[in-house]
Amino acid sequence: MSADLLQVLASAGKGKGTRSLLRVIILALIAGAAVSSRLFSVIRFESIIHEFDPWFNFRATKYLVANGFYKFWDWFDDRTWHPLGRVTGGTLYPGLMVTSGVIYHALRALTIPVDIRNICVLLAPGFSGLTAIAAYLLTNEMTPSSSAGLLAALFVGIAPGYISRSVAGSYDNEAIAIFLLVFTFYLWIKALKQGSMLWGALCALFYGYMVASWGGYAFITCLLPLHAFVLICMGRYSTRLYVAYTTWYALGTLASMQIPFVGFLPVKTSEHMPALGIFGFLQLLAFLDYVRSAIPSRQFQTFLWLFAGATFGLGLLGLVIATSAGFIAPWSGRFYSLWDTGYAKIHIPIIASVSEHQPTAWPAFFFDLNMLIWLFPVGVYLCFQELADEHVFIVVYALFGSYFAGVMVRLMLTLTPVVCVAAAIAVSTLLDAYLNAKSPNPEEVQALESSEGKRAVKSGLRSTSKPVVGVYGLWGKGMVVGAMVVYLLVFVLHCTWVTSNAYSSPSVVLASRLPDGSQHIIDDYREAYQWLRQNTREDAKIMSWWDYGYQIGGMADRPTLVDNNTWNNTHIATVGKAMSSREEVSYPIMRQHEVDYVLVVFGGLLGYSGDDINKFLWMVRIAEGIWPDEVSERAFFTPRGEYRVDAEATETMKNSLMYKMSYYNYNNLFPPGQAVDRMRGARLPEVGPTLNTLEEAFTSENWIIRIYKVKDLDNLGRDHASAAAFDRGHKKKKATKKRGPRLLRVE
Amino acid sequence: MKTTAVFSAFVSLLSFASAAGASSKKSSASSDSSSTSTTLPATFKPPQVFKNANLVHVISLEKNYVKENINVLVENIDKAPQDEYFVPFTADQMSRLGGVEVKDRKDASAGPFVAEPVEFDQESDIQYLRIRLPKPLAPGAQQTLGISYYLLKAYKPLPASIKQEEQQYLTFSFSAYCSSAYTTTKQKTEVKFPSGNIPDYTKLPGSGDVSEFPQKQGSKLIYGPFDEKPAGAAQPVSVRFEFTKPVTHVSRLERDIEVSHWGGNVAFEERYTLYHRGANLSSLFNRVKWQQAQYYHPTTFALKELKFPLRVGSVDAYYTDVIGNVSTSHFRTNKREALLEIKPRYPVFGGWKFPFTIGWNSDAKNFLRKTATGGFVLNVPFLEGPRQPEGVEYEQVQLRVILPEGAENVRYHTSIPPSSITEAGIEIHKTFLDTLGRTALVIRARNLVDDFRDRDLVVAYDYPLLASLRKPLVVFASAVAVFVVAWIVGNVELKFDSPKK
Repeated sequence: MSADLLQVLASAGKGKGTRSLLRVIILALIAGAAVSSRLFSVIRFESIIHEFDPWFNFRATKYLVANGFYKFWDWFDDRTWHPLGRVTGGTLYPGLMVTSGVIYHALRALTIPVDIRNICVLLAPGFSGLTAIAAYLLTNEMTPSSSAGLLAALFVGIAPGYISRSVAGSYDNEAIAIFLLVFTFYLWIKALKQGSMLWGALCALFYGYMVASWGGYAFITCLLPLHAFVLICMGRYSTRLYVAYTTWYALGTLASMQIPFVGFLPVKTSEHMPALGIFGFLQLLAFLDYVRSAIPSRQFQTFLWLFAGATFGLGLLGLVIATSAGFIAPWSGRFYSLWDTGYAKIHIPIIASVSEHQPTAWPAFFFDLNMLIWLFPVGVYLCFQELADEHVFIVVYALFGSYFAGVMVRLMLTLTPVVCVAAAIAVSTLLDAYLNAKSPNPEEVQALESSEGKRAVKSGLRSTSKPVVGVYGLWGKGMVVGAMVVYLLVFVLHCTWVTSNAYSSPSVVLASRLPDGSQHIIDDYREAYQWLRQNTREDAKIMSWWDYGYQIGGMADRPTLVDNNTWNNTHIATVGKAMSSREEVSYPIMRQHEVDYVLVVFGGLLGYSGDDINKFLWMVRIAEGIWPDEVSERAFFTPRGEYRVDAEATETMKNSLMYKMSYYNYNNLFPPGQAVDRMRGARLPEVGPTLNTLEEAFTSENWIIRIYKVKDLDNLGRDHASAAAFDRGHKKKKATKKRGPRLLRVE
Repeated sequence: MKTTAVFSAFVSLLSFASAAGASSKKSSASSDSSSTSTTLPATFKPPQVFKNANLVHVISLEKNYVKENINVLVENIDKAPQDEYFVPFTADQMSRLGGVEVKDRKDASAGPFVAEPVEFDQESDIQYLRIRLPKPLAPGAQQTLGISYYLLKAYKPLPASIKQEEQQYLTFSFSAYCSSAYTTTKQKTEVKFPSGNIPDYTKLPGSGDVSEFPQKQGSKLIYGPFDEKPAGAAQPVSVRFEFTKPVTHVSRLERDIEVSHWGGNVAFEERYTLYHRGANLSSLFNRVKWQQAQYYHPTTFALKELKFPLRVGSVDAYYTDVIGNVSTSHFRTNKREALLEIKPRYPVFGGWKFPFTIGWNSDAKNFLRKTATGGFVLNVPFLEGPRQPEGVEYEQVQLRVILPEGAENVRYHTSIPPSSITEAGIEIHKTFLDTLGRTALVIRARNLVDDFRDRDLVVAYDYPLLASLRKPLVVFASAVAVFVVAWIVGNVELKFDSPKK
């Protein structure tokens, strides 16, 4: 009976036209779902740029829109990295800004003057809709069943692993890069399958766009040659591969070299060498292919071995020489940290200090991918079963992506698309098998099997004989399908929950609940930034830890010493040193850098965990990396190895500028002796720290941001400590005159 | 509720305001004030044809602007009837002077007299305001004029910087004798203060039965009465008084009123550049002290809150600044009120600045009427700033009334003193889905204060049916064009012709 019903339902989607119309509608709905599931923060808060890096991208986009492309290209920004400045136009990936700029001007031309901020905020959700469509296309290349494509589109659309980087307001390079990544892969598969130069060129074009957008393009640069290499090793070399790869490599490399930030890296650095190597290797193979067709096979064998050995040796020798002579840069630190997760912590603390560069914890996989993570191996297994060229790609991508996702939290993002594709293949295969309402007739099957069985014995290979596998009981089908539907629903629930709770906080604005359940917004960051913007000099230099550099540039519009670009480790270490040293040491550093205000983030009153005292050890470590004699991490720990801020804290800790700035005047807020740091649950010493070289300029409502003004030199030429002591009314301590040893007067 | 009768009355009023079509881009729809100000020779001296028989000068320092009222009994001492009375001001005062209104104190029905600055020598320190009497005053006849005006940016804090918890004192300098271009027989100057705490004021030797000027009566100081003073006599005095409230100064207010016929909506947006002109902080802001002061003595000279009573029926209020939404606002609306209470992101102390934007929507039927002749009349408040006990002053005001695309024959009338309006004209404003651009009436005014809240601005315009259909037609036609182009492109064969098998 239900079979009839299903039949009726199925017949509605029978016609080819109806089916493709349905497919388009479903795809459009999926894209809509992908966009709307990313709008939590806009609805809950407002249309606002999130976190840290997006603020720089937003600022750069505004500059691009205001000044035009060429000015943007030549942009030297003297408001960051004071006093060094930054050649911004040449040190960024312009793809993101140019994309929003183009959208902005296109909409203007259509007389829809949308504010550039709204374009920037909604760019990531918009592109996630496109990613869903790209995933559909890519999956369709893998399996004839278009339901797999639709499932993949749905998975990519709502998988938290991707949402984490593409909610509205998260205006970062990844926002468009993931779409480009998936679409480039689709074009690559297309080019490879057809051996078409057109698709290869398109692939190169999108690869160029990808290079212009995100540093993660190296993932494609390494994955495509790897795929080609694996294909060659499997003996699947073909002219299709040759055409696709060489077209992509030649055009794509040229395209990538147009970006000033990339420049000659594709021929100079180790990350790009595999692509070049495979390109050369393919030429050799093509040459050999030609030679084989020209000379007899016996001589060919000898020729081959000699030739291959000589080439390999020469190539390796050349690479070693070029690397040691410095023509090819060795792997950069960030790449080393991909092989050895402990590397960064020892050698480059600045990379390790970024939370998204930490190795992934196991629960993160389930958190970000939910059931896809257990469907993923099934999908890869199914790819093994068919194992055409494109399935090899999925297998290679899966291995490669899994490794990187395990090494760095942030690279979960590159894994997500392949997980979605593989999982979609798995689910659709399962559903195709179990949703088939027609049960095979047992007798017919038996007859068929017996006739086939005989043949199978002859051929000997099990996999070539394909027994008709059928599911006979409707009950069983219903069970499996029902279970699958429940899983899918739970998946949707999980994705929504994760997106809503974990990934939709702008982090600029914090939300809390009032006792009556209504939302209360803690807006300290913007309060302080707006104060800086309105009530300080236009060129007042702000010193803060680098995390807040982009936000200060974007919201407070003031020059900063260091920002999230982190290109100059020494400069960051200088700030770290100023923060972690005594006032007498810090003051000359601040004077030398013309610092007017110092900004610190303090979570003690509110219990806000992302504050500077919690990040303080990284400042110390980074400073110690440059000045091991002057800053020592050990000195910030008590003899028992504890990191404390209360009365037990070490002298170095208590005298450090960061500690003083965080707790200055804080105990006046409490009855005497009751000052408590709610973040660290510590009772603070009764007497708060004194500041001599700085004065408190502004503290936000919940004390999250504290701004200090650097005092000018004393008018009377005293040092600040004695000047401040005089102001407090202390008498100047009489310097006990060191008398020399008594001399006997001899006359 | 205004009835249609009132509207038609307004329309008849509008007839004298010059009209301009939407098509002429920069043509002036200016009111008569700016066009008639005449240029006089640099050596101009007002003819001594009047005498001030009695003059009472009331200076009110209660708000953060100065409101002055000169009630003067003038007498024509010439032989011919006279209709031009001149009031002198210094050039500095002239630039800060606003909202001049002149009335006949005895005859309220005479309406406001025309008062405008006389343009003659820009370099001269004495500038004149010319008052035109509607009826020339016969020789020997007397008339009582009530001249009121406002002075902006009038105070200086003394001491210029104080501590966060200290009280703020302001100084104001003026002349004990009212400056006049004519001989004054008898006069008196009255100064009103927000409180009786006036630590310093200039003392003058008394006359008659008063031994010393001024006399202090509560929160009032009275200089005078003085006997006859010649034209141009001045006696500089200054007062220093306690002012416990913020000295709020809006250097620029941009107010946009956008009318949508399709949406049936009138959208308001106001962009304020707000300063505190009071005492600066001698030591920088201290949050602990601030939080304690909030608890123990809530009076402070910092600006903590602004209250905007909006018209009933206002909805969707928002409050943002350059970096996004400001969450510290409260919008209370019900049938009787629509009150928007906003707090700046930080308490604004002297010398600090806080620019912000607010906006709200309202149903068009609250403001817009269709007239019998087929035109439309829009009646909106000219100014809807905050209502603060200490008052708010506006240095520059730009009001834009954005009418629908294709609106034409725009006329306006406002009850704001014409001398405050510096410029008015029609501009084109291009925004969503506009082909021609919307007609925008732009009025620039200066030196206004919150006393002019809720003065009306009436705009009449024609809006033909075809103009209202333009937008849907254009959108429809463009969509059709896109489909046709897509169809044509889709039919182009891109592949090489493959040989038929």
